[in-house]
Amino acid sequence: METFYNMRKEEAAYWIALAHLPGWSHLKINNLIVKFYHENKISIDEFFELNDNDLQHRYQLDEKQVLDLKQAKTELAGNAFLAESFFSQGFEIIPITSPEYSKTLKINLKTANAPAVLYVKGNKKILEEESVAIVGSREASETALKFTDNITKLVCNQSKVVVSGFAKGVDRQALDSAVKFKGKSVIVLPQGIMTYSSVFKNYYRQIIDGDALVLSTFFPQAPWKAELAMARNPVIYGLADEIYVAESAEKGGTWSGVVDGIRKGRKIFVRKPEPNEKNANNILIQKGAVPVDFNGFELPSNYDITFADQYSVVKEPADKDPLETKVRAAFSGRSLSAKELLTKLNLTWTAQKLDGYLKKLDFIEVVKEKETILYRLKGTTDMTQTKLFV
Amino acid sequence: MTRQEAETILQLTFKLPKFYDEQWLTIEKLLKGEKVLLIEKTGFGKSLCFQFPATVFKGTTVIFSPLIALMRDQVKKLTALGISAKCINSEQTPDANTQIMNEAKQGKIKILYIAPERQENSEWIEATQQMNLSMVVVDEAHCISVWGHDFRPAFKRIINLVKLLPKGLPVLATTATATKRVELDVAQQIGNSIMTIRGNLMRDNFKLFVVKVSTEDEKLIWLGKNLNSFPGSGILYTGTRIATDIYSNWFEHLKISSAAYNAGLDADSRIAIENGLMSNKWKCVISTNALGMGIDKPDIRFIIHTQIPQSPIHYYQEIGRAGRDGLPSYIILFYNPEDRKLPEAFIESGRPSIKKYEKVISVVKSELHGERELMKRTNLKQNQIRAIKADLIEQRIIREVIIGKSKKYEFVSNSQPLNTKTFEELRNAKLADLENMIAYVDTDKSRMKFLCDYLGDNSNHTFVNCDNTGEKKITVSVTSEWKEKLQHFREEYFPELEVESKGSNLVNGVAASYYGVSNVGDAIYRSKHEYGGDFPDFLLKLVIKAFRKKFGQEKFDMLVYVPPTSSGDLVKNFAVKVSQVLNFPVSHNLTKSRVTKEQKVFENGYLKTENVSGAFTLINPNDIKGKSILLIDDIFDSGATLKEAGRSLTNFGAKKISPVVIARTIGGDIL
Repeated sequence: METFYNMRKEEAAYWIALAHLPGWSHLKINNLIVKFYHENKISIDEFFELNDNDLQHRYQLDEKQVLDLKQAKTELAGNAFLAESFFSQGFEIIPITSPEYSKTLKINLKTANAPAVLYVKGNKKILEEESVAIVGSREASETALKFTDNITKLVCNQSKVVVSGFAKGVDRQALDSAVKFKGKSVIVLPQGIMTYSSVFKNYYRQIIDGDALVLSTFFPQAPWKAELAMARNPVIYGLADEIYVAESAEKGGTWSGVVDGIRKGRKIFVRKPEPNEKNANNILIQKGAVPVDFNGFELPSNYDITFADQYSVVKEPADKDPLETKVRAAFSGRSLSAKELLTKLNLTWTAQKLDGYLKKLDFIEVVKEKETILYRLKGTTDMTQTKLFV
Repeated sequence: MTRQEAETILQLTFKLPKFYDEQWLTIEKLLKGEKVLLIEKTGFGKSLCFQFPATVFKGTTVIFSPLIALMRDQVKKLTALGISAKCINSEQTPDANTQIMNEAKQGKIKILYIAPERQENSEWIEATQQMNLSMVVVDEAHCISVWGHDFRPAFKRIINLVKLLPKGLPVLATTATATKRVELDVAQQIGNSIMTIRGNLMRDNFKLFVVKVSTEDEKLIWLGKNLNSFPGSGILYTGTRIATDIYSNWFEHLKISSAAYNAGLDADSRIAIENGLMSNKWKCVISTNALGMGIDKPDIRFIIHTQIPQSPIHYYQEIGRAGRDGLPSYIILFYNPEDRKLPEAFIESGRPSIKKYEKVISVVKSELHGERELMKRTNLKQNQIRAIKADLIEQRIIREVIIGKSKKYEFVSNSQPLNTKTFEELRNAKLADLENMIAYVDTDKSRMKFLCDYLGDNSNHTFVNCDNTGEKKITVSVTSEWKEKLQHFREEYFPELEVESKGSNLVNGVAASYYGVSNVGDAIYRSKHEYGGDFPDFLLKLVIKAFRKKFGQEKFDMLVYVPPTSSGDLVKNFAVKVSQVLNFPVSHNLTKSRVTKEQKVFENGYLKTENVSGAFTLINPNDIKGKSILLIDDIFDSGATLKEAGRSLTNFGAKKISPVVIARTIGGDIL
């Protein structure tokens, strides 16, 4: 039985209304979603039909919040007009309750910061892949750009996805390199997805070939604003399993994003600059980022005595077998057949060989569904969405 | 709200005494936020079913209507009642449309009419975000269905919109013409448990006649003889734009007052004709089926078709405009067995070949293009590219996207291959419809009952309102007097060439004939392609006559001819003969500066224009400075060659260039 669900198109107008309630934080919106969707098990359109009394008492909303929702309700018809135009142009909405919503983003941003909906166009499956963000300044040096190219090549060779903004400098370099190395990318926009048509023109082939996904978390028609560009950075960091910093100044988007990431305990790789370079990479390393060389190889933590004394970098234990890691990552909560796994892992094995391999892994269990044998991670059930946030 | 309360408001606002039962049934559901499909005949009062609730609701009601004329008409009437109604359409200036959107955002408009195509406009989409919308109405809802007589791709998007609307927002879809199949298709597409209300469709004030003839002349002669004896004013529907031109010239020749209307006219001309029709300015308006849907004139006393429509449903729709006041109205259909060829050709060529579809798909796959670029890359006609685009969008193989401000077409990843089976089914359904239309001609039973049955309205009413049920049959007698009148007209009638444009001194010209309508085309073809020698002298006579009629009063300094691509000296020799008769010098100085291809290899105006762009040059340009020039060519198709030659001559200083050609083609690309 399919226990999770993809958004019904009829819900689009409601999700747009809920996601952009003026003055509401992500936390407030997400808490409401948890309440109606997970606790009370009603759909979003049913939620919008609740009366003031229910909203005030069952949902403990204050007068102002009830008023906001009332106002949002009057905008539903207008949202439907927007949604029609939106869908007809091939855009899609992924609400946070959908299994298509990026798990990585949810884990990294948590209830407090995860946006309620993602607006996307392109191959949504990309959101299930392991991902790497390569970030850096708009006015990056040649060295930083070359580093970006190196890392992107590595990322593409490992069949991971490049996550990038659409700014000048490092962002564009990462995208161009991903195209060059025939890799996959997520392009995160600093504005509404319907207002940025040049990206769809420039990456037309990549999008229709399934190699790119364009993503925005802002109201689809929102024009570019400095605040949105800043608000976009956490989404880039959040969508990535790994983060590489090519070059950072001591302020600006890259800087604040990395500092924030370190504070939240994320492992962030920063290019160790050449002695004569003028940037803030070293300061980030001092603050706890992991130094890497020009080719992305982690430098020993004691490469610089003065720093190493003061800041110890806690490393995660490395997996012995990279294939095991891949297998773990391939499951997004759902049971999979050997055949499905083969495609996900991009292996040229026979299904029998994989069957044999899987049965030896201690973290995998076998489930029988009708006639087919399926595998899943031990201890998981198919109800991935019982809890919204991991 | 009770019916009584509603009727009190009705009397105050609309000055009407009460609702019909079916009107109230519909209104009651809409007031409750339900969705209704309403099928009622023209004149029933469908508009009131949404206009009334719209005035009761707090916010704005949006009405999608495919007909600008209808929008204008209804806005006028509502405004007169003091109800704030406006329409947004492509014939108003962008500023005017923006202004109306602003008023709607401020809640100043109760009823807002828009065309379905407006949904493609991002300014409109943005504006809707700030409107308080109360209800959505889809007028002429049969346009949603490919099984209907007037499928419009833009309506597909309206269906999608309706599905996205929030629960409890009332939706009304209306039409006067839906077979059972169309009704079910529309209801199923809208879904959301829409409720269908269907009234009876018979019109017993119609007097229906079929006039069987065996030539076009019989139609012209019977109408010439009898049109003025019909009561009041009406509409004459022809099959083609050229036929509207021929009939209006024929009536003009006979001093019968008429006006010709087609979709190719500019907005001002169309509005002028619509207004003239409303005020009975002419005995009749001659039109292609572009005119009339939804025109709310109560007293159209006759509707005559000189060409058989494609199906009974087309016919019912077109005659539906007559006699809305309930008084007797004459409905006449001419039928010459030859006439079936036009709808047949239309059905058969309605879809371009599969190869052309594949060409478009492969171009769209390679890059993001707009319509113009697609036409250039595929060498397809505009109407073909539009038909292909519509089908490919319908099958979700391509989609229309907005890049900046322009529309582009993109390939849909992982889409299914082109499904041609539906094309076959549609073609067969249309051929069957045409057979049914011819069955209407041939039936010896009640014609009204025939139409009602066809529409799925199985009435037991006994009709006595057609030439099979009591009315006298019409027969045509051709007298020699009328034959002569027609002959005389033909010798005097020359098609106009509309080529004037800004920045060029080229003026509108004249053709001696239509290519393919008389023996003129054959004669040109023999000379050009079968080594038939110079153009025959009767063409010379005809051209001189056309020249005298159009330009006889003007003085010319010089005759210039369009240099050939491949047909040798035919035009040159012809021009020399013309100049000898007219007695002014011929210049051989207009030449081609580069090789061009024959225009006929290009399917669309863009490529034709490119083919000849900058292709002409002039030897001794000083000769033509300040001169008045007669420009001669053999065939006029898209006009691209004449326009380019005109531009060239203008640039070299010609004061005025007047074109005359032997024949203009009928099927020229409209660009």
